Amino acid sequence: MSEQAGNAALERTRVSAPIGRLLGSEVRWLLRRPRTLVMLGLFALMPVTIAIGVVASNRSGGLVGNILGNGLVLPVVALILAQALLLPLAVGMAAADALAGESAAGTLRGLLIAPVSRLRLVGMKAFGVLVVAVLATGVIAVVGALAGVLLVGGTDGLVTLSGTTVGVGGALGRIALAVAWTVGQLAAIGAVALAVSAWTEHPLVVLASVLGMVIVFGVLGAIPALDWLQPYLLTSGWSSGADVLRDPLPARGLVESTLRALCYLALGGGLTVYRMLRRDA
Amino acid sequence: MRGLRKVFGATVAVDGIDLEVPVGSVLGMLGPNGSGKTTLIRMLLGLTPPTAGTVELLGHADPVAALPHVGALVEGPGFHGFLSGRDNLLRVAAAEPLLPSRDIAATVSTALERVGLAAAADRRYRGYSLGMKQRLGLAAALLVPRRLVVLDEPTNGLDPAGTRDVRRIIGELHADGATVIVSSHLLTEVEATCTHVAVLQAGTLVASGELATLLSAGAGGLVVATPDVELALHTLREVATAYRGAAGEVVVNDGPPAPEIVARLVRAGVAVHEARRRRTNLEDLFARLTEET
Repeated sequence: MSEQAGNAALERTRVSAPIGRLLGSEVRWLLRRPRTLVMLGLFALMPVTIAIGVVASNRSGGLVGNILGNGLVLPVVALILAQALLLPLAVGMAAADALAGESAAGTLRGLLIAPVSRLRLVGMKAFGVLVVAVLATGVIAVVGALAGVLLVGGTDGLVTLSGTTVGVGGALGRIALAVAWTVGQLAAIGAVALAVSAWTEHPLVVLASVLGMVIVFGVLGAIPALDWLQPYLLTSGWSSGADVLRDPLPARGLVESTLRALCYLALGGGLTVYRMLRRDA
Repeated sequence: MRGLRKVFGATVAVDGIDLEVPVGSVLGMLGPNGSGKTTLIRMLLGLTPPTAGTVELLGHADPVAALPHVGALVEGPGFHGFLSGRDNLLRVAAAEPLLPSRDIAATVSTALERVGLAAAADRRYRGYSLGMKQRLGLAAALLVPRRLVVLDEPTNGLDPAGTRDVRRIIGELHADGATVIVSSHLLTEVEATCTHVAVLQAGTLVASGELATLLSAGAGGLVVATPDVELALHTLREVATAYRGAAGEVVVNDGPPAPEIVARLVRAGVAVHEARRRRTNLEDLFARLTEET
């Protein structure tokens, strides 16, 4: 083979595995991880525990008390409760394993040598983190709905916080809205976590950063003198999760917090790409 | 197609190295710990950007374009402990651009057999011995036919059978026309398998070239086997530096050409049983090169 022919043959060969195959491999890897499965299992237990607690105590009042005799509220309430710390923890864990964990295990090298281009690698890892966010949220919502119907009862509709009743179709729509909104917020957390993950090879640093961020944001948001910070804090919009239980549905808080999440997503994504294009592996 | 050309500028670890690896050669990269071997390999593979200088991999300035044809085992095997050897390889295989999806399962099985891991394929990587981990790393590097294989300390933790397997695999790759870069501390391994050698010391290249050329350049003197050692030493005192070698041997350095030495000895009545060029082995060469600086 002449020089030119040899080079031409090299040019034609593909330099990347099919993207679907990469994403499939990433999801398989995630779902083979014992910790992912244990986490999802525990998340499934959470709404069941709430249902049993509510039925056993038989007391109404407060957000959780709303569930009594009103089972379709359970998935939304469970999501709101989990959103405070548990779901960010789950996403942080996935993001920690995604880059820092792979780097620590020496497997990031293997992917880059294969080669998976660095940009693709970020896409693949972001997809993985998003899958975890969707699965975790989905498990809580689905198990919550089932537990609500089976353990709590009240299947003819959902009694809103405003006192009105919406039908089953409307109730399911609101649950779906709660899921979508929660995933949006988690995507923002995930993007920031992934950025931290791109900068370190210690998964624990990522987890600590995520939890630290959520806690510090919560504290800052609670200080009246710092209320000018509110528009910039991701967590300050998290109270609007309960809005899906109001009638008529106030969209402003949900939209605003989603836009804020998109800003964090862009920031985290940008930083992750910036770092991963330069990172040693 | 040209070979690989790598020119690195100054970094802390690697200081201005120019090295061209001819296509089809087996290059042994030698150097004490911390001499920059692994850093050099990492720059070659695009894992870390060079501070200055450029790398050309199989004719490409961008490593990603050439990497599908490159298999590498760098800084030890990297796999996940919770997955079996087979599942780890399946994951690596999914990322291989040149591997068609339908061939993945069969390719992985073949690779596992090639490195002698077929029996342990479905056990968790966590429970593998050091040698088995190393074998799995080798299997990943050889998953698809390669044009360049880079092996960083491939015999680390391997038993003698494993070391022999690595030597056999390098031989097979060489026979198939692939270029192989091996870094190793085991000089005898390099000597047995390599056609070319590059010696690194404190981030600089102190010697490189064909193994045979380097060895003969480093060869010193003539060894003469004779029962008349005293007489031989006396005869050669004026024309060369001669000293006692092993029992019944005289080593002659810095003297006239070999035929003249032998002629002088014979004229003086010394019985010459054998006269041979003293061959340095790689170990001597390596010691000399890395201790000079």
